[in-house]
Amino acid sequence: MTIWFRVVAMVSAVALWAVPAMAEGKPLQDHTEHWNTLWHHVILDMTAIAVVFAAITIWFLVKYKRTSEDQEGDSPSLSFGASMAWAIIPIFLFLADDFYLAANGWKLWNDQRQVPENAMEVKVTASMWSWEYEYENGKTSEDLVVPVGAPVVVRGSSDDVVHGMSLADFRIKEDIMPGRITYLWFYPKEVGEHVWTCTEYCGLNHSDMYNKVVVKSKADFDSWLGTKG
Amino acid sequence: MKEWIFTTDHKRIGILYLVGSIAAFAVAGIMALLIRVELSSLGPTLVEDASQYNVWLYFHGAAMILAFLIPGLTGFVANYCIPLMIGAHDVAFPRINAFSVWLFWFAIVLALLTFVIPDPPDVLWTGYPPYSVQTDGNTAFYVFTVHLLGFSSILGAVNFLCTVIYMRAPGMGWNQLNVFVWTTLGAFVIQLVMIPVLASAVTLLLFDKYLGTTFFNPENGGDVLLYQNLFWFYSHPAVYVILLPAVGIILEVLATFARNPVFNYKVTVYGGIWGTVLLGSDVWAHHLYTSGMVDWLRIGMMVTTLLISLPVGLLTISLVGTLYKGSISFKTPMVYATSTLFLILLGGLTGIPLAMTSLTVHLAETYFVMAHFHYIMGITATFAVFAGVYYWFPLMTGKMYNETYSQIGFWLNFIGVNLTFWPLFGIGIDGMPRRYFDYQMYPEFESTQMLSTVGAFIVAAGMAITILTWIHGAILGEKAKPNPWGSKSMEWTHCEYPPGPGNFPTPPEVTAEWSPYNYGKHTAQSL
Amino acid sequence: MASEEAHVHHWEWSYYPLILVAGIFFAVPLGFAAFFVYGSGLMSALFIGLGVPLIIWGCAGWAGEGIANAENETGWALTGLPIFIVSEVLIFLSLFVSYWMLRLTAPEWPPPGSPEIGLGIPIFMTILLVSSSFTYHIGEERLEEGDKAGFIKWLYITIGLGALFLLMTGVEYTHLLGEGFGFSANAKSTAFYSITGFHASHVLVGLGIFLFVLFPALSGKISHVFVTGAGIYWHFVDIVWFFVISQIYIW
Ligand code: HEA
Ligand code: HEA
Ligand code: CUA
Ligand SMILES: [Cu+2]
Repeated sequence: MTIWFRVVAMVSAVALWAVPAMAEGKPLQDHTEHWNTLWHHVILDMTAIAVVFAAITIWFLVKYKRTSEDQEGDSPSLSFGASMAWAIIPIFLFLADDFYLAANGWKLWNDQRQVPENAMEVKVTASMWSWEYEYENGKTSEDLVVPVGAPVVVRGSSDDVVHGMSLADFRIKEDIMPGRITYLWFYPKEVGEHVWTCTEYCGLNHSDMYNKVVVKSKADFDSWLGTKG
Repeated sequence: MKEWIFTTDHKRIGILYLVGSIAAFAVAGIMALLIRVELSSLGPTLVEDASQYNVWLYFHGAAMILAFLIPGLTGFVANYCIPLMIGAHDVAFPRINAFSVWLFWFAIVLALLTFVIPDPPDVLWTGYPPYSVQTDGNTAFYVFTVHLLGFSSILGAVNFLCTVIYMRAPGMGWNQLNVFVWTTLGAFVIQLVMIPVLASAVTLLLFDKYLGTTFFNPENGGDVLLYQNLFWFYSHPAVYVILLPAVGIILEVLATFARNPVFNYKVTVYGGIWGTVLLGSDVWAHHLYTSGMVDWLRIGMMVTTLLISLPVGLLTISLVGTLYKGSISFKTPMVYATSTLFLILLGGLTGIPLAMTSLTVHLAETYFVMAHFHYIMGITATFAVFAGVYYWFPLMTGKMYNETYSQIGFWLNFIGVNLTFWPLFGIGIDGMPRRYFDYQMYPEFESTQMLSTVGAFIVAAGMAITILTWIHGAILGEKAKPNPWGSKSMEWTHCEYPPGPGNFPTPPEVTAEWSPYNYGKHTAQSL
Repeated sequence: MASEEAHVHHWEWSYYPLILVAGIFFAVPLGFAAFFVYGSGLMSALFIGLGVPLIIWGCAGWAGEGIANAENETGWALTGLPIFIVSEVLIFLSLFVSYWMLRLTAPEWPPPGSPEIGLGIPIFMTILLVSSSFTYHIGEERLEEGDKAGFIKWLYITIGLGALFLLMTGVEYTHLLGEGFGFSANAKSTAFYSITGFHASHVLVGLGIFLFVLFPALSGKISHVFVTGAGIYWHFVDIVWFFVISQIYIW
């Protein structure tokens, strides 16, 4: 028993130290990639846990199939120590995993919330069931048009009910509502088009409340922005 | 007839709960089929615009959670089994029990009125303001449905807490209770403490919409997020009101069919069950990760949510461990129960990425969430209810269901649900948003949606067969042998088949060695 | 009903739970929705007219059965009630939390345009409610001594005090509404009417319970458990009032 307590204590000490250590670091220019990486780690982790549990279950189901009608189960009685070990060891293993997940989740979260200083500001207004983007020079647009290669922060509120701003391709979303200002930022890496959807139920045309995010080259964007609309 | 409709007997009330909750399940399931057909192809398929769709989805979500699973687990199984398991002649307050079941039935009637009234409620089961305040839909019916069900559950909680505290058979100590009794106590503690919060959330909604108060109206000093916090303060713990009794049923079935005691009884009860109750009560804001609330609260909620994996992990270990060195036979209840051992992993472990704020800022409100909760709730917990119905079927009716057809029903259900929901994880990760009547922006998802619809119809076939085996068994089934599974639990060993008024021919008493899991050489002390 | 003779061979049943639920169903959801959602006063009146008699019938029948049989004389009811009160506490708590949220995040409090709410009436109301707790207690003591008439007398006084309390709420509301402080005036009116109104509704329920103690008592049937339970509920309503007055009126 004592040896297990020592193992457990060590694991938890490492885990406790690891949380703040992993959570430090500089803000990123692009959190989308990191989302994908973290996602793969987490899915691997979850798959491993699932496989272990499922394999043991299958093994038991096959191995301990009833062979004769009057056969009884033959599970051993757990001593107090064994019973506690079956609680404490798994708990600390799970705890270690949870800390690992929390630390990494936390780190990425900081990146997702810290808007880089060089980000371009766009003001957004949601209303049933459309979006309006307004640029710093006063130009407004129905689609979100952005230049490639620089972070963009979209900030605003809603005129009526709660809506959701979602940029699935950039792995980011945040609700938008009356009475509060919320934001999200992302980093358009390549020229192209993406979908912007509303992800908070807002009534009849909730599923029609989508539009495009158009990433243009810097030159194209500047001329687009210059032509007053 | 009179003795059925006006009954105050817990067994009959339990059956009234069963009938009501299965009816709710069938109607809500048919709504799901309509939803699936609508989504099977791009553009409007069944209906022209979303107004019908939103009403179906409202009914589907609200009825499945509030009128099928919660009453099915804490109404039907708890009512039928708890007095029998603890050796009581009835619950502490039989008339209040009858009152509860009728509140539940009338709540279903109120919910069904959705389909006939003008301006039906269209707020979905979450009812977020300001939409729910601004809509022309009948938000009042949503609120009152919640009120009736909530009142019913609170009274149920009072009733069962008193029953278990005062009415255990002489000699029955706390560590001799069935695990299912413990899970139900945990669930009822949550109901008692948390439902009032939901009730006041929706009441404030009612005040705002119809009396003009401004709780949720930011233009006049209100706060939009207040509602969301109050709502999830109950509605997250509510998932453990579902999960705990479901796990309780599965453990009972596993113990009986493996002829083994529940693995590590005390840790399961005091760590797994009560740990879930405690932790589950302070993680509600993981439903608000993308709501725009303050950042630090999201971090705290991420950590506590992840920690839920500890008690639930202990419960999972108990589930698997109960099989160890068992003597396992695969009758229908056991087939359902073993399938949940895998499904709970799929459903539970996909909750973990959702618990991580930074991953959820993409996953929230997508089909990934939808697949997560269908696996854990729509399949695991639902299969647990089915396992329970099959398991106690000989006891309730004195008759036997048809084993072959039941197994066919199971396999159709099992294959069907996986076909329906597994592909949806994928399009969820690619961004398919929930609660969408149409998905013009993502035409590439059409084939997956179609596949899912096919799956849903396989489930429908399986469900129809399953329900028919019950009806057939109850009316025409063969007479069941007493205690056909060889369980050691009191509802099987001390009662008639089916148990009559007053439950026990002679009021039971138990010794200190007795336990519902006295298999092999085990006694209450060796658990 | 079968508590003592568990082996009796008949199924227990009662009309009244179902009647009561039916009454609630007509009077509350349907009555409310008919008026507020569909704007039909007539329909609403019909539903309420149908529901309220059912509720009274259900309660009366239930109380009659309850007092007539031994089941309620077990101590369980007196454990059940406090358990139920836990959930009542949480309802009030979530109302107060909502109020704190609104108040603490407001730029200024009270919001502009709120009239001064005087302390005179609420202090008088406090006196009424506290003394009603005492008068009920005196009644219970009389009962203990076997003095049924004395109990009934003090019960009348308690009910009178409670009714006066409600009357004062009415007076205060009319006054404030007259000053144009409607439900929808601002965040303060929202919190004020919701919390005081919700508390007043509990006083009303408490008075209802007292009536179901009073009527059987007039014909000589007194259930001790019922009397104690009604008292516990009344004291609870009294205690909540202290939170209402300190949070809403004084703070
Ligand atoms: C019965 C119902 C049920 C249950 C039990 C759960 C269980 C869990 N749920 Fe789920 N959930 C729902 C029903 C349920 N959920 C519903 C209905 C919604 C959507 C509501 C709506 O918006 O309409 C939802 C949504 C939802 C969200 C919000 C998503 C969003 O909208 O943004 C989150 C986020 O954290 C979440 C997380 C979890 C977690 C962490 C668990 C955990 O309890 C899971 C714990 C289990 C395990 C982890 C597996 C077993 C454990 C082990 C094998 C041990 C080892 C594991 C580790 C170390 C990780 N759920
Ligand atoms: C217990 C919970 C539960 C269960 C079991 C289910 C079961 C199913 N659910 Fe549901 N679902 C929810 C809870 C549940 N769901 C919730 C909470 C939501 C969110 C709502 C919201 O967003 O607000 C949701 C949302 C939801 C959506 C998302 C829609 C959207 O976001 O736009 C979809 C889409 O496919 C869906 C499908 C299904 C399907 C195909 C089933 C199938 O498994 C159903 C199978 C059942 C049947 C087909 C009925 C069978 C019965 C008969 C055939 C009767 C026979 C009768 C006799 C013989 C007498 N559900
Ligand atoms: Cu806007 Cu949904
Ligand atoms: Cu949750």
